[in-house]
Amino acid sequence: MPDPELRLVPSPGPADVDDLMRQAARGDSHAFEMLYDELSPAVYGLARRVVRDPARAEDVTQEVFLDVWRKATRFEGDRGKAKTWVMTIAHRRAVDAVRRSEAAKRQDHRAAPDEVSHDEPADALIEAEEYGAVRDCLETLTDLQLESVRMAYFNGYTYGEVATLLEKPLPTIKTRMRDGLIRLRDCLEGAR
Amino acid sequence: MTTELHTLSGAYALDALTAEEAEQFRRHLEACTACRVEVRELRQAAATMGASEAVPPPAYLKARVLTAVDRAPQLPPRAVGGNVVQVAPHRWGRWLLMTAAAVVLIVGGVIGVSRIGDDATKDQSLLAADVAKVFQADDAHKATMPTKNGGTISVATSPELGEMAVDTTKLAPLDSGHVYQLWAIHRGEASSVGLLEPAKGAAMEMPPADTEVAITVEPVGGSPRPTTNPIMQVNPSQV
Repeated sequence: MPDPELRLVPSPGPADVDDLMRQAARGDSHAFEMLYDELSPAVYGLARRVVRDPARAEDVTQEVFLDVWRKATRFEGDRGKAKTWVMTIAHRRAVDAVRRSEAAKRQDHRAAPDEVSHDEPADALIEAEEYGAVRDCLETLTDLQLESVRMAYFNGYTYGEVATLLEKPLPTIKTRMRDGLIRLRDCLEGAR
Repeated sequence: MTTELHTLSGAYALDALTAEEAEQFRRHLEACTACRVEVRELRQAAATMGASEAVPPPAYLKARVLTAVDRAPQLPPRAVGGNVVQVAPHRWGRWLLMTAAAVVLIVGGVIGVSRIGDDATKDQSLLAADVAKVFQADDAHKATMPTKNGGTISVATSPELGEMAVDTTKLAPLDSGHVYQLWAIHRGEASSVGLLEPAKGAAMEMPPADTEVAITVEPVGGSPRPTTNPIMQVNPSQV
């Protein structure tokens, strides 16, 4: 439900990011530098959450921005926002990194999955413009939706792994992920 | 199956599918506009969730990234139109390296030739003569068949020349976001031969008897492997 009291003030950020992406696509490295300033906290923060290790999060961040620079020419603005595009690349890269290292670890021994942590060091968090809306909207999810979405997104687990960890049937987890994201989407749209 | 697959949109948007499942779901997306819209929206929700975790990176990372970027060329924008577009180099088999040498385009009576490879224009006249021979060969086998997306395609082979050619002028038109891509299918493995412009056509060396040729609809720029079901598939040896 959109609540006028809680409505987010439209930030000049997102529109600017789209413009910067278009300029970067034309080889404008200054625009790209500004794009980095705009988006690197979001990219690095997500990488930290997923891969945990700060040094590896830096590597992931570098890979992501290199990817963004190279592929800026192919960013299609009509198919979504530049920030979503960058965060999608960032998440994929981070998950790939974590799955590669998990696969390497499993070759040594069958390690028990890491405990699911929802809390990163509070000192590192800055208040992202999305923070309040996301926190409020995540509260509208059921416990199982929230667990499923967060374990997949922030821990890089497949839905099969999430099902195992939560001891639920696969189809249940599959639908909870979808229902949870739909609820998050609808709530975020309302908050805008 | 669609309903079953459709519910994977959430897991897909969260990158929570295995590589195989993700590939399968991407194929499903090609055929399902509503699913693409949903995935886009769910990804945006996920991205917003990810962005809410922002942490400033260490300052030195910026210089590192900008230095790396400074050395990296940008990809060319996806071409609009054009002839045969070069795709990633093959790494599949000997046969493909051979076919890659000669993909020939026929433009409404005027015969143009392009190679999928490094030097696109070399030996044009020679190859043009070869392809003209395929269509006019005394021993040419010709077949016209419907495609699954509502067009037709003609295939000609000449055992004597050891070549085959396709006339793609009657393929169904595609929107600006999609192209036709030509594949060689060998033991269930698809290898890209190249992208087609529907108004034109292609000719190539005759593949071995156990290799089929297929065409799929792919996003502009082509795909490393097919993401949709073929609109046509044929064993050239049986034309």
